Amino acid sequence: MNGYAGKFLEVDLTTGAVAGFSLEEARLKKFIGGSSLAASLYLERYNLHADPLAPESPFMVMNGPLVGSGFPGSSRFAVAAKSPQTGIWGESACGGNFGPELKKAGFDGIVITGRSSTPVILSIADGEAIIAAADKLWGKDIYEATDMLKAEDKGWKVLAIGPAGENLVRFSAIGNDKAHFIGRTGLGAVMGSKKLKAIIVRGNKSSGKCDEEKFKAVSKEALQEIKESTFAESLHLMGSDVGMDLGMMNGDVPIKNWTVGEDFELSAKLSGPTMRETYLTKAHACANCPVACKRVVAVKDGPYQTEEGPGPEYETCCTFGTLIMNYDLAAVIKANELCNRYGMDTITAGATIAMAMELYEKGIISAQTADGLELTWGNMDTVCALLKKIACREGLGNILADGSLQAAAKLGAQGLDAVVHVKGLELPMHDPRGFHGMGLAYMMSNRGACHLQHAAMGMEQGMVSWPQLFEMKEDYQGTTSQGKAMLVFNSENYGILGNSLSICQYLMYCLKPETIRDGFNAVTGFNFEFQDLLLCGARDWTLKRGINNLLGISAKDDVLPKRILTPLSEGAAAGSVPDMQLLRDEYYAIRGLDARGVPTREKLSELGLTELINKLYT
Amino acid sequence: MSSYKGLTQEWLDAWKQKIAESKEYKEIAKDWEGSVSIIVNAAPDKNLPETAYLFTDYWHGDVRDFVLCDEARALSARFIMSGEYVRWKQVATKELDATKALMQGKLKLKGDLTYVVRNVKTINKVIDLLTEVNTIWPDEA
Repeated sequence: MNGYAGKFLEVDLTTGAVAGFSLEEARLKKFIGGSSLAASLYLERYNLHADPLAPESPFMVMNGPLVGSGFPGSSRFAVAAKSPQTGIWGESACGGNFGPELKKAGFDGIVITGRSSTPVILSIADGEAIIAAADKLWGKDIYEATDMLKAEDKGWKVLAIGPAGENLVRFSAIGNDKAHFIGRTGLGAVMGSKKLKAIIVRGNKSSGKCDEEKFKAVSKEALQEIKESTFAESLHLMGSDVGMDLGMMNGDVPIKNWTVGEDFELSAKLSGPTMRETYLTKAHACANCPVACKRVVAVKDGPYQTEEGPGPEYETCCTFGTLIMNYDLAAVIKANELCNRYGMDTITAGATIAMAMELYEKGIISAQTADGLELTWGNMDTVCALLKKIACREGLGNILADGSLQAAAKLGAQGLDAVVHVKGLELPMHDPRGFHGMGLAYMMSNRGACHLQHAAMGMEQGMVSWPQLFEMKEDYQGTTSQGKAMLVFNSENYGILGNSLSICQYLMYCLKPETIRDGFNAVTGFNFEFQDLLLCGARDWTLKRGINNLLGISAKDDVLPKRILTPLSEGAAAGSVPDMQLLRDEYYAIRGLDARGVPTREKLSELGLTELINKLYT
Repeated sequence: MSSYKGLTQEWLDAWKQKIAESKEYKEIAKDWEGSVSIIVNAAPDKNLPETAYLFTDYWHGDVRDFVLCDEARALSARFIMSGEYVRWKQVATKELDATKALMQGKLKLKGDLTYVVRNVKTINKVIDLLTEVNTIWPDEA
């Protein structure tokens, strides 16, 4: 089938069984790929109520049809599992070269269950997969393990966990070739629970396209659109941290665990332009990406020296910068490197430490509980020491290793507004008080507070305008809740397609929707119209919502944390808080959720999710 | 309050005066160096028969040349912003944020984007002050 390798790999690490399976075209047309396809398999084949770290819980890696096609920005693949951090649906997407290589090796995805008795790696080459011993790799950090695996053959593309994943830190990340990281929802711990240190892949097979000539023409058009895009240029020059200066001005940047509304000295010291002028050594691109937004940095002097390696994204410049009152970009880069090596999500790691600093300031964490560390705002020596303790589950680190919500409960701080999360996942670094639509998107995201599984940021902050897709304004006011439910609904249905089609969301912001649609059709031959694609997006959202409903999620969980409902006294968002009730009521009606927050029978039927009807209504 | 015909020298002078009188601007723009030209594409149906070229120059919180000019001078500026008349009017009347217009491709910028991002507060302040000039736009005349 065009756009697909036609085969998925199934591995049982308990028995060592390795097999392949294929999926029917009707399912691929319904769910396309990525985490959407993973969710359909999860619902159909696995025990949803198993513990995320139990052998029977699956760990899934999924491509989409555009991966490996050469279409600009089509490097993405998804990793999915029940999240050890939140206990609900978990997923995270990544760029780099692993996805295209997996398809070249002959697979659209991998589903891994079971648990090995000893550390192993999964090696996949040209349609064959073997499980091999990894005793020498266990205990190594992600950079070391990746180097050891590539020493054998530089052509391997690597997914690896570090000590945090091995120690089941609940926000463990997975490293991809030492350059990209699968951070959110703690899926590195699922690999760790299976004693799976790494997956390596290489291949030479090319996947077919339905209409090669059309594909070439559309790809050429896509490249031209990217070349003309100011957004693409800004990403190339300054990376995602281009958002720091702009965000500080419009009330997007969280400061001091979400309690301060404005600090231009912080943004000036931590911004994309500053990184470019100080520590940037080069820009790095994912497969088939002409933008090259990834930063490569090195700190050569001072107390926070690092080797040349992947630089911090905007989110990390906030979590290890503005959120904890650190004005030193070199220290942010160091903390980022430590998270990369240990294998931890930089958002949850930084946000959890910010919470701990606030609890220390309030006397809830004593000096003794802090293991003698001075957990004061901006103390980066403490942060670096604490990151190691978290990864190794030592002392206070063992408490924080479960993420801010569970850590707060253990520290006697449950219910305090210092814990800033939705459904157990810490908020990304975009303040809903400045952008109420983002608040609703956080409330309704299926993996907990998320800024990526929708295009709400691009739409609400005015980076994009897609009138050909749906009715939208060119300039939304951030600090109003009116009309935002429809914005978020549309942004989810379209934005989520980045994951299933395998296109970088930044590139989705640069490309016209018709270019993406035409590229998809040229590869697959599906001949989808916009409405078909948006229906797939709506189906994806509803499927994952239904899974979460089965896991206990309901309307009570669709809420913003107390701190976000507390107005700031300064900055662009001063005095503004999202109208949670209005946003939710309007959204439920548009999305087809009943008062319990469960998709109605009619909505499930309209989307063809009959299995969910059976499970939710019988 | 006086009104000025948009895209005329008198209108530019009024805008320049607003900026020069702003203490807030002087503080925000203390590090800004360089000229910005504004190119408003001809829109005969909006009573703008020919493309308008505007040259504005700023230096460490002070305002220098603010003049209508020819194409050659406009293209000599450190930063060149160009776009359709309707988009410029939207920006000048605060219907459309300038940064959003740039990101959506509705206005184009030539020049050091990194410098612009670092100084985005300055740019927004200059536009804020333009909205304080009581303007009669060509299509309203």
